[in-house]
Amino acid sequence: MVIPLISIILLCPLAAFVIFALLGLAKRSFPRQDLLSTAAMLAALVCSFLLLREVVPDPKPHTVNWISVGDFTFSMGFYLDSVTVIMLIVVTLVSSLVHIFSIGYMHGDPRYPRFFAYLSLFSFSMLFLVVSDNLLGIYIGWELVGLCSYLLIGFWFEKDSAANACKKAFLTTRVGDVGMFIGMMMLFAKFKTLSLYDGTENGIFTLVEGLSGTGDIIWLSIAGILIFCGAIGKSAQVPLHTWLPDAMEGPTPVSALIHAATMVAAGVYLTARMFPILTDTSSLVIAYIGGITALVAATIAIVRFDIKRVLAYSTVSQLGYMMLAIGAGSYVAGLFHLTTHAFFKALLFLGSGSVIHAFHAMHAHHDEDHTDGEAHEHDDHSLVHEHGSEIPPDQDMRNMGGLRRKMPWTFGTMLVATLSISGVPFLFSGFWSKDAILGGVLGHAMVSHSPHYYILFGMALIAAGITAFYMFRLIFMTFFGEPRNQEMHDMAHESPWVMVVPLLVLAVLSIPIVNPIWFNKDYVKPPPQSHIHAPAHAQLGPDTKTGDANSGFAFFWISEAQAAEEEGGKNTEKADDAYRIHKLAHNIAMVLSICVAGLGILLSWLFYHRRRFSAESVATKFSPVYNLFWNKYYFDEFYDGVLVALTVWKSRLFAQFDGAIVDGTVNGVGTVTRQIFAAFIGFFDNRVVDGIVNRVAEVTWAAGGRIRRIQTGAIQTYLFVVLGGIVLIILIFRAL
Amino acid sequence: MSLQHYLVISAILFTLGIFAVLTRKNAISILMGIELILNSCNLNFAAFSRFVVPPENVDGLIIPNIDGQVIAIFGIVLAAAEAAVFLAIILAIYREFGSIRPDEVDTLKG
Repeated sequence: MVIPLISIILLCPLAAFVIFALLGLAKRSFPRQDLLSTAAMLAALVCSFLLLREVVPDPKPHTVNWISVGDFTFSMGFYLDSVTVIMLIVVTLVSSLVHIFSIGYMHGDPRYPRFFAYLSLFSFSMLFLVVSDNLLGIYIGWELVGLCSYLLIGFWFEKDSAANACKKAFLTTRVGDVGMFIGMMMLFAKFKTLSLYDGTENGIFTLVEGLSGTGDIIWLSIAGILIFCGAIGKSAQVPLHTWLPDAMEGPTPVSALIHAATMVAAGVYLTARMFPILTDTSSLVIAYIGGITALVAATIAIVRFDIKRVLAYSTVSQLGYMMLAIGAGSYVAGLFHLTTHAFFKALLFLGSGSVIHAFHAMHAHHDEDHTDGEAHEHDDHSLVHEHGSEIPPDQDMRNMGGLRRKMPWTFGTMLVATLSISGVPFLFSGFWSKDAILGGVLGHAMVSHSPHYYILFGMALIAAGITAFYMFRLIFMTFFGEPRNQEMHDMAHESPWVMVVPLLVLAVLSIPIVNPIWFNKDYVKPPPQSHIHAPAHAQLGPDTKTGDANSGFAFFWISEAQAAEEEGGKNTEKADDAYRIHKLAHNIAMVLSICVAGLGILLSWLFYHRRRFSAESVATKFSPVYNLFWNKYYFDEFYDGVLVALTVWKSRLFAQFDGAIVDGTVNGVGTVTRQIFAAFIGFFDNRVVDGIVNRVAEVTWAAGGRIRRIQTGAIQTYLFVVLGGIVLIILIFRAL
Repeated sequence: MSLQHYLVISAILFTLGIFAVLTRKNAISILMGIELILNSCNLNFAAFSRFVVPPENVDGLIIPNIDGQVIAIFGIVLAAAEAAVFLAIILAIYREFGSIRPDEVDTLKG
């Protein structure tokens, strides 16, 4: 059943895309193409749920040989474990809901069918990435989702800002992809295979265990970090995070699907997949990148006014959390946060899309050719896009306020998502996953006594507080208080039901009690992966650990148990110790995270609802810090000023080199050839060769001129000569 | 009459023929010169056959050699044929050029 189901999951979106493409080529349109695309995703969703039952603890990959080069054979295949199936469900579920939402949101767009074609292609690519059993397949899917991201960010390519943003996204992620490719090649050079786990001894994960304790660990660390570079690009980690906020130029459903829930999470998925090859060093690098990203992006989000940019930086920050979890060894916690984040962040983006839609209707009413008009406003070609003046009015939170009565459903669902991301205890999924990460990091710190992980825990905790602060700032500015822009407020309205229903579904999924994926332990099994510094293969189950592990959520519980296993290895006593410490760490982390979340929400309430403090006066008082946040730590300026300028300077230099030296050489050779060589050859040809020919001709001509006089045409002359000749001959013979 | 007489006559005829061929402006006169040359040759053939080759003695029967005379007859026939062709050519030339003077038929002259 596995192969047919996976085939259906992959082929449904692909078929939808192919039908769109063929119709597009034939310049025909099919009534309600959007429904076709949506139906394909819903079919994939149903198959994904059916696959849940097919997951076995020790899965075998299903492969076919793809390319044979010499002794090497690259195989392509599927690998189905619980991580895969949960990714499949997350992708198909969010994708289906985004499809449904887009029917309302994109209604009336001139390229409406193309949008759904791209969504279908993206869904196929993402699903292909998730089910691939080898790095090559993952890389193919990886590049395909990058392409779809590029196409969808630049969907409204009439706007210069969108066209620039899609180029920026593509080029920035490319930087990471190059690293990933080098990492893949390093693994290939070492292991002669790209299969992760092929059921025999030849998978990378099996082979990598043999390296434990050898001198190849440094080499493996470098390979791991290089592969993580791909994730840095795709998951928008510092320092390659700058593309993701600009990617918000795309339509909002795209932001929800690609740039919040699925594609950017592919980096986390990859890092978690590659967990067995991560060494201590590469884990620490990943943890630091993740921790720094979480903190940096959260601080930038505080001062944004564009509702989508706040959510974009929030996404970057949450992805940093997931990376931090993987770096700290709790990769199950990271994947847990990936799934919860996918739902509540998709919900937040779709909610913001609903708000923008409400404003946009009025905005478009005022200015019919608004996209055309805007195309001329953004005329800078630098990478720096967002400045105060450039925020579209329908996305500017300063134009919002008091919307909760106008849009009760949007408000209610977004509030659920905000409570979830802020880590409000017990009822909301974000609390559990974030707590699993914080507890995992603290537990790792306590077990390994590593000061690095204590620092990282502190950073993550501060970021958690800031997250609560800025998310409630968004809610307060958008939905509470008095309308700041009365004209826009009067035009705002609740969105149609096709947009509200996906919001409601996602809101329900953000409440963990109702979510069977996270609650059922049978569905959540750690994949057969082992870590290089703790090669324990023991199957995790309720029996191996203390009984109270049965309580709580499956992901949460496995996160603890798995983290403990990481630390303790096969040694039961040591593992029990590690487990106790992790349990303690989780309790400490839970209390602390509730405190910081509460503090963040309280401060946000005081600042933005009660107006007890003025955000402006604080901003003025700490203006250097404020400017640092406002200018996003000057990353864009740095890239613009250093990398872009360097590239342009280098290009100019090369252009000059090309113009002066290469062209000069070519022209010089040409001149020399023409002036000297060709002149000499020409002289020789004209004088010597032609001279000989001409002289011969002249001599012949002159001789002919003279000799032809003999031929008088008078027969009797000839006869006379003949007679003379005969007489002469006779005389000669006589003389002889 | 000895061989010398014949040869002298023949030489006179030949010389007259050559003279006519080289000097006459009329193609008919040239033809006549050629006929003289041919006939001087025929005369020589007959004379040499008669005086130079000894007769053959077959069983006491003396048979004179007549090879020269035969060739002379051939020559006369040849001359007749040649004259016919020549006259036909002259007729064609006359139609083409309106003249039978060889020095006026000079189309091939460079």
